[in-house]
Amino acid sequence: MKNDAPANPLEILAYIISAQIKDHTIVYVGTGLPMVAGILARKTHAPNITMVYESGGQDPIQGGMPWSVGGPFTWRKSPVVMEMAYSFGQCYNGYVDIAFLGFAQVDRYGNVNTHMIGDDFHQPKARLTGSGGNNDLTSLTENMVLVGLQTPEKFPEKVDFITSVGHLRGGNTRKEAGLPGNGPVAVISQCGVFDFEPKTKKMRVKTLHPGMTLDIAQMCTGFELLKPEGEIPLTPMPTPDIIEILRREVDPRGVFTSLPSA
Amino acid sequence: MGVFDYSREALENLKIDDPGILDRLVDFENARAVHLNKNRSKKDKRISLKEAVAEFVQDGDVVLDTGFGYVRTCIQSHFEIMRQGKKDLQMIGAPNTNQSYMIVTGSVRYSHNSYTGAEMRGTDRNYTRQLKAGKVRILSEWSHGGIAQGLKAAQLGSPGLLSKQMLGSDIVKYNPYLKVIQNPLKKESDPSLFIPALYPDVTFIHAQAADKYGNAYIYGPTVNDLAGAAASRKVVITAEEIVPEMDIRCNKKGSIIPFFYADAVVELPYGALPGSMPGYYYWPRQWWEKLMRFSAINEENIGKFIDEWVFGTKDQIEFIEKLGGAKWMIEARRQTKAAEGDNEDVDFSYQEYTINNDPGIFY
Repeated sequence: MKNDAPANPLEILAYIISAQIKDHTIVYVGTGLPMVAGILARKTHAPNITMVYESGGQDPIQGGMPWSVGGPFTWRKSPVVMEMAYSFGQCYNGYVDIAFLGFAQVDRYGNVNTHMIGDDFHQPKARLTGSGGNNDLTSLTENMVLVGLQTPEKFPEKVDFITSVGHLRGGNTRKEAGLPGNGPVAVISQCGVFDFEPKTKKMRVKTLHPGMTLDIAQMCTGFELLKPEGEIPLTPMPTPDIIEILRREVDPRGVFTSLPSA
Repeated sequence: MGVFDYSREALENLKIDDPGILDRLVDFENARAVHLNKNRSKKDKRISLKEAVAEFVQDGDVVLDTGFGYVRTCIQSHFEIMRQGKKDLQMIGAPNTNQSYMIVTGSVRYSHNSYTGAEMRGTDRNYTRQLKAGKVRILSEWSHGGIAQGLKAAQLGSPGLLSKQMLGSDIVKYNPYLKVIQNPLKKESDPSLFIPALYPDVTFIHAQAADKYGNAYIYGPTVNDLAGAAASRKVVITAEEIVPEMDIRCNKKGSIIPFFYADAVVELPYGALPGSMPGYYYWPRQWWEKLMRFSAINEENIGKFIDEWVFGTKDQIEFIEKLGGAKWMIEARRQTKAAEGDNEDVDFSYQEYTINNDPGIFY
């Protein structure tokens, strides 16, 4: 049965993430949408990528959608499953090209917070997970892509805790802190795709999704977004062919790409 | 005055008045002396889980959480630690998801924190509440990779290593063990992070198979367990199956923990429950969803949950009965075999636990 419904926001996000992946690269993926995006990329424009996971799983054969990053689908018949120290070591040693992560907060320099909300470490409004592998990947991976919902609270002027350094205080400060790689190269939200202006490393609008305006994107942001010169391009949307591959072959049960029913 | 020069900024930020509490985790001399004193003889080390916890877990010990949160993690051993009322433990691990419910009963009082949560099941509100109530003190903040490197440094026989992780982040400001130093070989400025070798007091590792001497075979992600076994002062191997030594020697071509690390061996089928065990069983997924979405939300719910699942069961066999007995065992094995690519045509869709819908099944 063919499903001709227009792409829903999660499907669109999965496609936009997948578009960041170049063929013949090694991709470090978390579960959820980044994994959907990785498989979609492999079935469309990037058939020769190698996917690696924080479980240490390398290049698993495709199975279902994993329930956990340590689950069997992330190391299904993997030729090798690396110890944790080595799996992050491969990022530092230049064997990972791009990684995708979420955040609770991100600031204009791409610094990420997954630790706490509030200003008192001992009495936080909410204590969050802590770093997990977020800091390791953001510190080490050549190109980092951040994915999440955009609201003024989640995009504040200053994050409540710097779990992972993006571009720190802008300019050259990431490198001065001793960190390798390009750091965050893109932020993807429901509003658009953002990059970082090369000199100041401040977050800049790159493209807006259809129906979005700069005013709306700005209203969803707790700091002033930089604007590119000239007209802001629209984010390319998935073609019906791609949506069909996504629905038929990548996430047929809609584990990560169906909207929760009301 | 102690022997270690901890970061003063971190001690202040963490409000640690007596830094002596931090020493055991990095006290190499003591760990080496303990290792040198271990009985080397290749003897039958099998005892029960009750005996192992009673003998090898002392109040106040630094306990390493193993596996990957709820994959091949020694959770039934954690439950026995809680049943025996062990207290004031420090918990370290990457991740250390399981410390959260152990705080409620007072078994864990100190955290070397890396990641507490259950991924997409939602934020662990229990941990926030325990933290605010002062029932847990964070002694240090880490990234996963930082703990992995600290344990690996111990396994490598090194005082520590220089890392490029955590630099510039607030984690460094909340970790007394870390020091930013200049890479001594570089002429230009090259900040690097010194991570000391980490030596937990006691480590339970759940393996697929072990022989009675403690040679333990792990299949699937080993995560930090090979390093943790080498570093830890006391090591208890629990295993799905106890196999002859020749089986380990001839057939088990994978990751092996050598017998001389092991102080005790426990035959413990289903010892990773309610986590998953590669090759043996899939998660009871609704258990974790109920923990995070219902039980963790207030003190009453979490208390009831622990009473029911930890104190209400005396061992893993009673735990299986509560999950659904033989029916659960069959489903969990089918699912894990299929997920690993060793079984066909299994439908992974399931009835999720939500606050409005408790399916009452665990597969």
